[in-house]
Amino acid sequence: MSATAPAGLAITARGLTRRFGTFTAVDRVSFEVEQGEIFGYLGANGAGKSTTIRMLIGLLQPSGGTATVAGHDIAQRPDAVKASIGYMSQKFSLYLDLPVMENLLFFGAAYGLTGKALRARADELLERVDLAGQGEITTGDLPGGLRQRLALASALLHRPGVVFLDEPTAGVDPVARRTFWRLIRELAAGGTTVFVTTHYLDEAEYCRRIGLMVDGKLVALDTPAALKKTWVPDRVLVARGRGLAAAAARVRATPGVRAVAPFGAALHLRVDPAALDAGAVAAALTAAGAEAVEVEEAAATLEDVFLAAVARGGQGAAPAVVGAP
Amino acid sequence: MRHGPLVRSLVRIGAMASKETIHIRRDPRTLALALAMPLVMLFLFGYGISTDLDHLPIAFADQDQSEASRALARAFDGSGEFRVVTRRAPGEVEPLFRDGSVVAALVVPRGYQDDLVGGRRTPVQLMVDGADAVVANQVLTKADAVLRAESRRLAGAAFARLEPPLSAALWTRYNPAARSALFMVPGISAFLLAITAVMLTALAIAGEWERGSMEQLFASPVGRLEIVLGKLLPYLVLGLLELQLVLAFGAMAFDLPVLGPGWLILLLGLVFLVGMLGQGLLISVVTKNQMVATQAAALSAMLPSIILSGMIFPIENMPLPLQLLSRLIPARYLVHGLRGVLLKGNGFDVLWPDVLAMALFAVAIVALATRRFQRRLA
Repeated sequence: MSATAPAGLAITARGLTRRFGTFTAVDRVSFEVEQGEIFGYLGANGAGKSTTIRMLIGLLQPSGGTATVAGHDIAQRPDAVKASIGYMSQKFSLYLDLPVMENLLFFGAAYGLTGKALRARADELLERVDLAGQGEITTGDLPGGLRQRLALASALLHRPGVVFLDEPTAGVDPVARRTFWRLIRELAAGGTTVFVTTHYLDEAEYCRRIGLMVDGKLVALDTPAALKKTWVPDRVLVARGRGLAAAAARVRATPGVRAVAPFGAALHLRVDPAALDAGAVAAALTAAGAEAVEVEEAAATLEDVFLAAVARGGQGAAPAVVGAP
Repeated sequence: MRHGPLVRSLVRIGAMASKETIHIRRDPRTLALALAMPLVMLFLFGYGISTDLDHLPIAFADQDQSEASRALARAFDGSGEFRVVTRRAPGEVEPLFRDGSVVAALVVPRGYQDDLVGGRRTPVQLMVDGADAVVANQVLTKADAVLRAESRRLAGAAFARLEPPLSAALWTRYNPAARSALFMVPGISAFLLAITAVMLTALAIAGEWERGSMEQLFASPVGRLEIVLGKLLPYLVLGLLELQLVLAFGAMAFDLPVLGPGWLILLLGLVFLVGMLGQGLLISVVTKNQMVATQAAALSAMLPSIILSGMIFPIENMPLPLQLLSRLIPARYLVHGLRGVLLKGNGFDVLWPDVLAMALFAVAIVALATRRFQRRLA
C-alpha cells in the first residue's frame, strides 16, 4: 500500500506505529506538516520523539501505518526519502577529529556533491552559520554552540526540502540556542520545512505548530496560542504579599479556585474565569489573613500546557473546554 | 551536472575512503600501531624467539689428562656450539647443574688415549641437564655431531680404511643455516597483518557506532556496501604498506631472501588482508563497541595466527582436530605461501591453493559481515 502526498504537504503520517517487543514506543500517530512550516515535536524523554523521526527518515521500519516525506512513501522509496532530507541526530555532532571544512566536504560528497560546486556550497554555508574562514579549525576545538551550527550546515549542503532536527540545542547555552533558532527561522522563511524536537518549552514558542507526545501518543497538535487556550482554560493569577502560605490553605476551599501552588515567595492560583477575577481573589486572600496582597493576571505558558497534558497521561483526548465565553 | 548511478556510488565510496584517510592521518596512534609496532615486533621475534642455540656452556671432567682428551675438548670448544667454561672432577659437576652455569658436562674416563691407540671402542660420558627439554635435545644433537667429526678425524689419521660403509649426508636446503629468523619472518608478517587489519577495522567501524555517526551515515544515501568498501580501502593500502615494510626490514636485518615474484607476495597479502578486514568488520558489526571489539579482535586475530598458523608450532605435530581447525585459519595459508615465495622461490603454479583458500575465507566473511550490517537500526 503506497501513500500519496497531497501537494503542499512536506510530511504526512497516518497511524504511524512502532513496537519494540511488547512496548509500544509510538502509538498510531497521525499528522501533516506543511511546506515551509516549523513543526515542533514536544515530549518528555522516551515519549517517542526520536522513534517517530527515525521512522520518517527510513532508519526504523514502522510496525504499522504509512507516511510520506517530501512526496515519497517511506516504506516504498526509502532511498528517495534519504536523498531529499537533511538530518541532525540527537547524539552525533560531526567527526570531531576532522577539520571543519573536511566535515562539510565529506557530507556533501555523501549526498553526491562534487568538485567546485561542493566547495562553493560549503563556503556559502560556513558564511551562513557565521563560521566563515574557520574551515581549517579542528571541529573538536569549536564550542558546543558552533558545533551545532556546523552540524546544521552539514545537513543542508544538498539543499534538502525537509530537515529533521532531533534535539538540536540539547546542552547548548541560551545565547547559542537563540542564534540557532534564528537560523532555523531563516531556513523556514526560505521555504524549507523544519521538523524539530525539543524539550525546551521556550523554544517551542518559535514553532508554527506543535505536536505534543505523551507515552507514544500524539495528545495535542496545534499552534502554541491555541494549545494554551485549549489546555489551560483557567485564569492564571499570581499573588504577592505577606502571610500567603497560611492563607493559601483556606483560599483553596473557595468556590471557583481550581489549584493553588506556592511559587517562590508568591502564590500561583488557577481559577474559573467565570466565577473569580483578580480583585475577588485578592479579597479572599485578605479575608483569610494575608496582608498587603497584590494579585495580577499571568499568561499561560507552554509549560502549563505540557504539565496539564502529562498529568492527564496519554489518554489521547484534549480536555473539554470549561467555562469558555 | 548529473552523474550516472555508478559514478555517484564511486563518489560516495571515495568520500568514505578519503574521510577515513584523514582520520588515520590525524591519529598518530593508528599510524604508530600500523607501522612502528610491526618493526618492534619483528625485531623482538626475530632476535628474541630464536630457536638456535650456540656457545652452550659445558664443564669438562678430564680423568685421562692426555693429548687425546685435550683434543676432544678442543673439538667441542672450537665447534662454536659449545664453550668449555670450567674443568672439574666428575663428582663436582652436580652443583654446576643446580645453579645453571652449565647445561652439560663431558667426562673423559682414564685410559681414553690408550684405548684409542689400541684400537678399542672407548666410551666418553655426556651428562646433560634435562630440565629444559628443548635445550637438552639440541645439546644431544650437537654433541653427537661433534663426536662424529672427532671420530672421523681420528679414524682418518690412524685407520683411513675403516670408513663406515654407510653414511647419510644431511643437506639442508632453502634455509641452509637453519636460522629461525628466516623461518619466522613470514609467520610474523601474517601475525602482524592479522592483528593490525582486524584491530584497526574493528576499531574504526565500532567507533562510528559509538559516536553515533553510523546513524548519520544510514540516514544519508550512502549504501552499506559503500560504507564497508570506503572504510576498508584505506586499511587495505595501509596493510600492504605494512607487509612491504616488514619484508624490507626482514631483508635488511636478517638477510631474508626474496626468491619468488613480488606480485605474488602482494597477491597473497591482498587476499589475506581482505579476509582479515572482513573479520574486523564482522566483529565491529556484532559488538558495536570499541572496548569489546578490541578484545575480540585481539583474541580472534592473535591466538590463531600464533598458535595455529604454523608460525611457531609445526602443524604436522598437532593433534588431528587442531590440524583440521588450522585449515580454517587464513594465517596458515599466508605463512605457507610466504615461506614458499620468499625462501623457495615458488610461483603461482605451486601456491594457488593457498591463494584460493584465503580468497574463499575472504569472500565468505565479507558476505557474512555485510549481511549482518543492517542499514536500519532495528
